[in-house]
Amino acid sequence: MHRRTFIISAAATAALAAISRKGYSVSGPARLVTGKNKDYRELVRQTIARLGGMPAFVKPGAVVVIKPNIGWDRTPEQGADTHPVIVTTLIELALEAGASTVKVFDRTCNEARMCYVNSGIGPAVEAISDKRVKIFHVEDRHFVNTRITAGKNLNEWPIHKEVLEADCYINVPVAKHHGLSDLTLGLKNNMGVIGGNRGLIHMSLGQKLADLATVIPTKLTVIDATRMLLRHGPQGGRIEDVHVADTLVASTDPVAADAFATTLFGIRPDSIESTARAYELGLGEMDVAKMDIIRLQ
Amino acid sequence: MIFFWLFIQTDYHGTDRIPYAVNIFFRIDPLIGAAAVLASKTLISLIIPSVLFLLSALLFGRWFCGWMCPLGTLLDSIHPLTLGKLTQPGNPRRRLRFVLLVVILASAAFGLPLVGWFDPFSILIRGLAVSIYPGFDAAVSSFFSFTYQHGGTTLNSLTEPVYDALKATILPFRRSAFQWTLISGFFLIAVFFLEKWERRGFCRNVCPLGALYGLTAGVGLFRGRGGDSGCGSCSICRTICRMGAIDDTRKISMTDCNLCMDCIEACPRSIISFSWKNRQTATQPAGNAISRRTFIGAALSGVVLPSLVSAEVTSQNILRLLRPPGAREESEFLARCVRCGECMKVCIGNALHPLLLEAGIAGVFSPVVLPRSGYCEYNCTLCGQVCPTGAIRILTPVQKKRWVIGTATFDKTRCLPYRGVNCMVCEEHCPVPDKAIRFREADTFNPAGMPVVVKQPYLVPDLCIGCGVCEQKCPLPGPSAIRVTAIGETRNPRNADPALMMTDGYSS
Repeated sequence: MHRRTFIISAAATAALAAISRKGYSVSGPARLVTGKNKDYRELVRQTIARLGGMPAFVKPGAVVVIKPNIGWDRTPEQGADTHPVIVTTLIELALEAGASTVKVFDRTCNEARMCYVNSGIGPAVEAISDKRVKIFHVEDRHFVNTRITAGKNLNEWPIHKEVLEADCYINVPVAKHHGLSDLTLGLKNNMGVIGGNRGLIHMSLGQKLADLATVIPTKLTVIDATRMLLRHGPQGGRIEDVHVADTLVASTDPVAADAFATTLFGIRPDSIESTARAYELGLGEMDVAKMDIIRLQ
Repeated sequence: MIFFWLFIQTDYHGTDRIPYAVNIFFRIDPLIGAAAVLASKTLISLIIPSVLFLLSALLFGRWFCGWMCPLGTLLDSIHPLTLGKLTQPGNPRRRLRFVLLVVILASAAFGLPLVGWFDPFSILIRGLAVSIYPGFDAAVSSFFSFTYQHGGTTLNSLTEPVYDALKATILPFRRSAFQWTLISGFFLIAVFFLEKWERRGFCRNVCPLGALYGLTAGVGLFRGRGGDSGCGSCSICRTICRMGAIDDTRKISMTDCNLCMDCIEACPRSIISFSWKNRQTATQPAGNAISRRTFIGAALSGVVLPSLVSAEVTSQNILRLLRPPGAREESEFLARCVRCGECMKVCIGNALHPLLLEAGIAGVFSPVVLPRSGYCEYNCTLCGQVCPTGAIRILTPVQKKRWVIGTATFDKTRCLPYRGVNCMVCEEHCPVPDKAIRFREADTFNPAGMPVVVKQPYLVPDLCIGCGVCEQKCPLPGPSAIRVTAIGETRNPRNADPALMMTDGYSS
């Protein structure tokens, strides 16, 4: 081997390694599917189909965690939690793809049982009555301390064991207003799979959410914008604050999903702290112009 | 068994309605009923069943104590564990319980609620709810937490189904923690220790409910015929009697007998019988349950005690005396509350705790909202539904959302945004749809001295209902930077006008 070829190939390998560490820049532009439909079941099925179909994310025998927002003791019309039909349709798709287990849970803000029942998600998931589907409540014992080596603000935080061990973690936030962070989307929804004193996350919230996203292995983000809570979020409570948009956004890129959903509110994606900080960490694309966007007809 | 099933059912089950609650035991408790009626000077319709139960003692003696009382049943079942003497002959008509009965009823009428200290259901449910049950859960679930976290897949495939089954049946949904847990549970533990000293020691000596039943049964129609001179030196009946109801001449005192019927089986001559027909022939031990002198002394104590207690300063903590939603005005609330702890058991936010001396002697073991430990859920009305005496009224969901427990105030010297750090956790959790906590952007300096723009929270007092979620969720260590005080509470007109309260200095 000549010295020149050695140097060139070594540099090329190093460059490739550097690029692939980021993980997202090598696979082409971030693909994102969005659509609008009053039939939410159909909306979910079409969106996931255009994203490559559930079998692309869920292999036969896989353990799947679907994490909706069940944070508040509010009804579906109030727009504070993910819509039950979106959750159940994703479960159906995962089962059709051959998942061995589908787990559904959230660490709620209000009393957990009231949230599960009144959001409609608990009864809807139980109605599937399939042994492979497990909806359960979060307990302290579920969390394991996890090192966050890429974190700029957080070095360690307890994370739900089932998420870390899942073959496929699907994040299913509801798009809504948030007093502190302006909007709460996918990265903020991850707060439902972390333990500890979550109040402390609110100092430098955007950076901490980005740090957490480096260790929460998100295969798919499905943002529920069927009802958009425009004011008094994240908890809401007034129907007047809810805009019915019948819209869904899905992507394998968690940052792209959040960035695109931000535009639905007429807000610049880079003005959302968590999106901007996650982009800086190389977790995904936030420039809508650079995304490969498929719009359902 | 029914009792324990009801105890576990006293919880949230997917709707804001409780179909079965353990409070039916209080509905049939004539002591609680009498004390609540005397204290509140009103007839409470809830207690009608308890009157029927008391009257049943005229016909069937103290069948309740032997066959129905959950505490008595528990004592009988744990008796072998105490390694106490299996049996111990005693003298019928021990006096203490009658004295207690008179003192409790008299002081209830004169404004000092004491029934919760001695009523067997209060002792049992409060002890279980705030002490034994959480402790049991802690022991079981810490074992399964260990196996879950360190056991690996194989062990977990064995242990997790067991844990799930326990969780679905006897373990609480979440672990509650209470203040003064051991002191509240101490009464129940003391009752167990009495059992070691003497069988049914609590029932024989202390139980004022048993005393009330005993007085009724003693003059009732149902009589037991004991032994006679033909028994010779045999005193098996007297030796095995768990209530010490049989005297040395083998006469059966219906004031004490709880109709366990053990003596009928044990009698070698088979001459013991219980019947209405015995009324003419069977004699009871001589003497009255309580002498006139003792009765008058006890009644006078019951009159004087409340006056002594009323000389106590209780206004020190008045602004932190946050009572459950639907609670009556303070003196009426304390008069009716029987300290059973059911509201603390059912409270899904773990907001309700027993008081010790914070509200004076009269307030011991009454429920208080401690927001830093747990807040009042916006859509929940369960505490009023389980309250056996209406000390906490039943609120409709609409009434509940308007009920003001108190009003929050900020401690701006500690609140982070007032120190230049964004936070807003309280605003996020405020359940009032229009938001009682709002924020405005302000120019200030961060802890490093740099100028920053932060969102600073402020309170809209007219909208605040004092649920305390802000105080609980405040991320600061130690005391919250937002605290709920009783100002503006619905139940107390004196506290109704915040402006008045501020200038009045709330001297109560």
